[in-house]
Amino acid sequence: MSAIDGAVSRRRVLAGVVGAGAVASLPAAVRRAGAQAKPTISYWNGLTGADGKVMDDLIERFTRETGIRIEQQRILWADLYAKLQVSVPAGEGPDLALIHTIEVPHFASDGVLEPIEDGVAAGKGFRSDDYLPSTWQGGLYQGKRYAIPLDVPQHVLYMNTKVMRDARLVGADGKPNVPGSKDELLAMAKRMARGDTFGFAIGTVNPGKYTWGFQNLLWQNGANVYTADLKRSALADPAAIEAAEFFGAIHAKEKVAPPANASCRDAFIAGKLGLWIAGSWNVTGLRDAKVDFAVAPVPRIFKRPVVWTMPHQFTFPKPKAVDAARREAAWTHMRWMSDHVAEWTLKAGQVSARRQPHADPRITGDPVLRTLLAQAPNWQGGQPTPKWVAAENLTRPMIETVYIGQKPPQAAMEDLARQINALPD
Amino acid sequence: MSVLTRVPRRRRRGALTPYLFLAPGLLLFAAFRLYPLLDGLRLSFTNARLGRTQYAWVGLANYERLLEDTRFHASLWNTAFYTVASTLPVLAIPLALAIALNRGVALRTWLRSAFFFPFTLSVVTVGLTWLWLLDPVVGPFNYYLRSLGFPVRSWLADPSTAMWTIILTTVWWVAGYYLVIYLAGLQDIPRELYEAAAIDGATGWRSFWAITLPLLRPVLLFVFVTHIIGSFQIFGQVFILTQGGPGDATRTAVQHLYETAFQNFFHFGSASAMAWVLFAVIVGFSLLQFRVLRGHTEY
Repeated sequence: MSAIDGAVSRRRVLAGVVGAGAVASLPAAVRRAGAQAKPTISYWNGLTGADGKVMDDLIERFTRETGIRIEQQRILWADLYAKLQVSVPAGEGPDLALIHTIEVPHFASDGVLEPIEDGVAAGKGFRSDDYLPSTWQGGLYQGKRYAIPLDVPQHVLYMNTKVMRDARLVGADGKPNVPGSKDELLAMAKRMARGDTFGFAIGTVNPGKYTWGFQNLLWQNGANVYTADLKRSALADPAAIEAAEFFGAIHAKEKVAPPANASCRDAFIAGKLGLWIAGSWNVTGLRDAKVDFAVAPVPRIFKRPVVWTMPHQFTFPKPKAVDAARREAAWTHMRWMSDHVAEWTLKAGQVSARRQPHADPRITGDPVLRTLLAQAPNWQGGQPTPKWVAAENLTRPMIETVYIGQKPPQAAMEDLARQINALPD
Repeated sequence: MSVLTRVPRRRRRGALTPYLFLAPGLLLFAAFRLYPLLDGLRLSFTNARLGRTQYAWVGLANYERLLEDTRFHASLWNTAFYTVASTLPVLAIPLALAIALNRGVALRTWLRSAFFFPFTLSVVTVGLTWLWLLDPVVGPFNYYLRSLGFPVRSWLADPSTAMWTIILTTVWWVAGYYLVIYLAGLQDIPRELYEAAAIDGATGWRSFWAITLPLLRPVLLFVFVTHIIGSFQIFGQVFILTQGGPGDATRTAVQHLYETAFQNFFHFGSASAMAWVLFAVIVGFSLLQFRVLRGHTEY
């Protein structure tokens, strides 16, 4: 066969393939014609865990029902925030972004987020009465709304049934005993701690990130990172030092908490940790690992049984010029997601900021979700200052030195308060 | 009359040719290396913050603040400690392995690949693997130490062992790379020199000091300089293994810089000042090294 013959036949084959493809895709093209007017929106979020798959499924359903296509970019939270900060001023931000409440103040103050008029939000069916107050307040910065809450990642007490049974800390029904006070918690933790098994830990999966556990203790003792007027750090106040003292005692003094840098999640799964105050996002992983565990509300260790939360919020990153159709499509998605948030709760394990699904029998029937909902009156989140995240970054290394007993709590808190007060504007 | 007019046109065109060939590379270098470098220098004299369109000239304020920034000082000290403490193991261990492999031990090719393998892994993989291996509660490292009756500790959470542990993981990671470079250098040394030395009665140590080491000097200089530059830029391992902890015990200069630029409010002005201080330190060390190790030995 000559080269020319070859070329012709290739062309014929190609033409045939293209033709066949066109015929095959005809019904799809006809089907799409009706949906052609619907825009495609970009949506950035940090749902990189098992919750990402749940979101994919819900978005697929949303597209089927509304015809609006969503192009998701899923990036680790820390990278997502850096990316928003770079992209939005350049006019390259997404139509919709899911962020944590504590990121709202600094993004709002930097002009990265578009303010949302209360009238507009109410017109789309988002009203404050429908939401739990702490979550709805989290969308505000200096009296203006920048975000609409979706769900409430929060702390909860995980109890390892095996470790507690071995220490004879279960009731007649085989269910773990729930500590009711700081002394009770420490006494139980001491009974469980022996060898490489530990009784109690407060904190997240990632090593070094003790900050959120410490914040929970701080808030329980009526203390906070900043004073109420947000002008200076309140960490050198006696209530904050008392919280730091407890944080320093559990490992360095009482030896009931695992060493720093240990993965509490792995220790809990391996049956080497009894009581663990940690984020509700661990539920799915612990269930997948087939750990025999129960949950209870975060115990009252100090004055109030405050539960640490960090709700997810929908936001509109500021575009160079608003595309009305795409903005409307983003609102449609937020509305649809809020209306279907019960399914998100059931599959992703995070309870909604909206009250209405809280009565859903599928949710109240689940012991874990029921516990998370029971904590709602005690929910608390970060303070609305643009410096919150920077202060958090300073807190981690300092509170770690307290945890390992390297620095006395009072000196550490005074140092930390000084560092936070010196943060540039 | 200018000099140029006397040069024949063809010759002038000929002189331009190499620059034309170099142009694509030079353009990329200028756009992605030189421009950011110089723009960073400009930013270091401003209060620039990412996300804010307006910023002001602040003179040397960012540099002055660095003089008072105790965490930056601690980070520089940690970086210097890491650099000094890791240099001997990084120079010596791969060299010892290379000499052993160069003598033709059994399974030489297999061993060379095995030693090189860790270097093919990304820093994240290396970090996460060691993080798990060294986990104080569920990690196998402590498990075996305990079962052998040795005392265990939280290697990465103890200020006295954290940096040494990072050095150990780094040596494990990069040893194979330097081993391959040393092997290439060793194979360049003429065998006759060793034969002549043997006839003169030189023992293994004597020929190592008199032949191997002097002739390996250019390779040693390369390994030394690249390791020192790389050490001053250490970030990935630390970020994954300890996040600079416990406290600030393993916090390094680049981590401090990264957090200032990307996690702590996007202070590009301050971060640029840090980058230039670090740049000056690295240039200073490199010049010192070239001065100490310059020279060439030939027989």
